[in-house]
Amino acid sequence: MDEFGELALREREARRIARRQWFWLHLAVFATLQVFLYVVWALGSASYPWFIFPLFGWGIPIAAHAVYAFVVQDAEEIMVQRAMREGGEQE
Amino acid sequence: MRWLLGPYTEARTYRVAAYLLVGLAFGVFEFTVLVTGFSLGVGLLVTIIGLPVLVATFLVARSLATMERRLARSWLDAPLPRRRLAQHEPNGFFWARLRSLTTTPRTWSEVAFLMLRLPMAVLDFTFITALISAILGGFAQPFLVAAGVDTRIGTWSIDTIAESLIFLPFSLVLLVVGARLILGWGELSRRMAAHFLGRLDATELKHEILDILARTEGADAFRILDELGLRLGHGSFLTPTRVEATLIALQSSGHVTVSRDGSRPVFAAA
Repeated sequence: MDEFGELALREREARRIARRQWFWLHLAVFATLQVFLYVVWALGSASYPWFIFPLFGWGIPIAAHAVYAFVVQDAEEIMVQRAMREGGEQE
Repeated sequence: MRWLLGPYTEARTYRVAAYLLVGLAFGVFEFTVLVTGFSLGVGLLVTIIGLPVLVATFLVARSLATMERRLARSWLDAPLPRRRLAQHEPNGFFWARLRSLTTTPRTWSEVAFLMLRLPMAVLDFTFITALISAILGGFAQPFLVAAGVDTRIGTWSIDTIAESLIFLPFSLVLLVVGARLILGWGELSRRMAAHFLGRLDATELKHEILDILARTEGADAFRILDELGLRLGHGSFLTPTRVEATLIALQSSGHVTVSRDGSRPVFAAA
């Protein structure tokens, strides 16, 4: 891999790490607030479990964020990795 | 303390505050123009007038987005492409122009920004006017009481100097942190502008790289990246991965040839 390729690889890794850090921060805020809401529910009448509404309502975007942070790759990343694989196979 | 009060001596703080204040007028204008244009265009599509109205609306949206881009770049220091790259639009009547406009991803992100500008501008304006009012209110209260102006908060009438000084500590705190609050809030607008207006379509990047290679007799990827940075500015729209992917695409399509200068690949226009 040439120098520019290494620079691009470091940039992709940095972007991947940043995405995952944002996800962990999002998850931490989500978890803290859900615990708080559960405690409010438990200390209250504790009858109808209303805390499940924000749990699922916010849980779905959390799941989507997780997919974005850990699974999704940019089209350019896929193209570069494919080209690197093909270049390796040719060698 | 310098971290809190320092921004008051920087022009950037006042530029951001101005952006938050005038944004409402721009947001209202842009929202009105786009909603009117699209409603009229779509409604009149069954007639001969609908298509020209839609094309005109998209073109107006593009111009408004260009203005917003310049505003965000100069007032918010948003990392946006420095100039609009020339679009290679097809010659033809409205249908061809409309198709070219609607199939460009950048057009849709610009329209989305312009539509979101109004609600964001309402929040921006509310924030900045509330902040300024809260800061000035605490300092003005004693003067108003001294001048005999009747001031009330709900059923509580403030009619002594002692009562009027209650809000002074809050205003002082807001004055100290106000500049940082303005910059922090402006960061939201900056990120929104960078996300929606900072797109660089793959086609535009390809044309730009081909133009660079046509003017030079071969360049390595570092030189291409530097040249793109000089032309367009720097930001998340221009990354080594994007340049690398674009060069791979140009190689595959036969527009660019590669030779080796030692270990570095050198690209040239085919």
